[in-house]
Amino acid sequence: MSNAYIVSAAMIPMGKHRDSSYSGLAVPAILSAMKSAGVSARDIQAVVCGHAFGGMLTGQRIVKEVGIGSVPVTNIDNACSGGATALHQAYKDIQAGRHDIVLVIGVDKLTQFGGGTLPLVTEDPEVQQGMVMPALYAMRARRYLHERGATPADLAEVSVKARRHGALNPYAQFRKEVSVEEVLASRQIASPLTLLQCCPTGDGAAAVIVASEAGRKRLGLPAVRISASILHSGQVTAGFRNMLSPEITYDSAADAYEEAGIGPQDVDVIELHDAFTIAELVYYEALGLCAPGESLDLLRAGKTTYGGDVVVNPSGGLLSKGHPVGASGVAQAVEMYWHLTGTAGARQVPNAKVGLSHVTGGGISGLDHGACTVHLYERVSS
Amino acid sequence: MKPNFAGTTSGDFVGADVLPLNDLSHNGQRQFVVIDDKVMLRGSQSASSASKAFPQREVCLETGSRDMEEMLFGPFGTLYSFAAVHVSGTRPTPYTIGYVDFENGVRVLGQLEGPETSFHCDQAVELRADGDRWFFVPAPAAQARKSV
Repeated sequence: MSNAYIVSAAMIPMGKHRDSSYSGLAVPAILSAMKSAGVSARDIQAVVCGHAFGGMLTGQRIVKEVGIGSVPVTNIDNACSGGATALHQAYKDIQAGRHDIVLVIGVDKLTQFGGGTLPLVTEDPEVQQGMVMPALYAMRARRYLHERGATPADLAEVSVKARRHGALNPYAQFRKEVSVEEVLASRQIASPLTLLQCCPTGDGAAAVIVASEAGRKRLGLPAVRISASILHSGQVTAGFRNMLSPEITYDSAADAYEEAGIGPQDVDVIELHDAFTIAELVYYEALGLCAPGESLDLLRAGKTTYGGDVVVNPSGGLLSKGHPVGASGVAQAVEMYWHLTGTAGARQVPNAKVGLSHVTGGGISGLDHGACTVHLYERVSS
Repeated sequence: MKPNFAGTTSGDFVGADVLPLNDLSHNGQRQFVVIDDKVMLRGSQSASSASKAFPQREVCLETGSRDMEEMLFGPFGTLYSFAAVHVSGTRPTPYTIGYVDFENGVRVLGQLEGPETSFHCDQAVELRADGDRWFFVPAPAAQARKSV
């Protein structure tokens, strides 16, 4: 079974790119990743494209523009986990020895909807009752405030940290720092969550090239080893669910640590699914960064920023960098590649050796989420 | 010889159990009944596994058994959490939705009627109906039960 390595990574700056098509968004990221790796269209043996709203044959519409063809192109929808699921698929194909060089794309264009909340599938009974993603997270937030003695200002601190990190990231959609007061004074989206506690609507694309042991040696490039790649669906219940203890992330993280043979204390840098402020706090616990009930202490003590135990969301996370849903999982992998190869620039996490990325997907009734992906990455000495 | 094992499929005939579920037909039906002025939701319970669910469904969520029977429940429940939604492309805002936990172990997402400030986590709520619509309103505290 071959190891899988990321040997090249690129993305476009996230933002509102209304004049760009799906291929217009993705092609620059792909060409940049290919150029950086020194590979041509003919070297790409397979393509996996994650997206949520690209429509039919998104991957083919993109890669034909750069001359990639006559290879398997697979399109993956897993809501916000689409990009990370594409990476998971590439990882499995490399491991199984099917290919040596696979192109992974994550892309989405949310400005096509003209703003507002993500359009969910109206067949779902909870969606028929008015469920939208901000409401799901707002209910988590309300319960967190109720059970943990937290205040809205505590939630706002997550945004303050995200924006502070994002201010150093030239790829981030928001690069302006904000204060707790500004976060709390922004307009209500789904109470208790205000606008500045929600990830923005935007467009983006990211690409990584994943190679086998043989492919990596042939290319002779700096690389990051994918030491675990876990994909879970949720487990349905019509009954009670502890919204502060999402089993889908707990289980995915536990499996990832087991697969890599490491623990949360070994991780230096994390990109996690902070679609809304509350998510970051809940996921500190689910990813094992602290014991259940201690996430607020972790944030307040500055343990999850530069100078702390682990830097969470150095890119600014979804709150600041942006969250074009299907693109995010691959964009997280790009961020990991940069940190673990020492090329993250002003936001470099010093001497980062081990990284983790986490992204969930979707709001459907009966589940925490429809999908969850956790990846672990390790720096490789060349 | 023609195989005749109960439960096996064949290309020879279309069994009743391979017809599509008409699960969208519930959409036009009232999801509640009113008994003695009390609003009760119409859920489903499996005859074999006793698993319960709302809204009504034909297949057991736990075992896949197709033996779901009507189960009425309500009118009191406990509000687990809620949110007032201020952005929507499809319905007037703000509106408030919340998860309500019932004695029978089922959690239901529904609309909450009344000022947002009249609700808090773990409070008792009661089902009400207006026309074909059902929703929750605050109920006397004595009706509250502890959530998970």
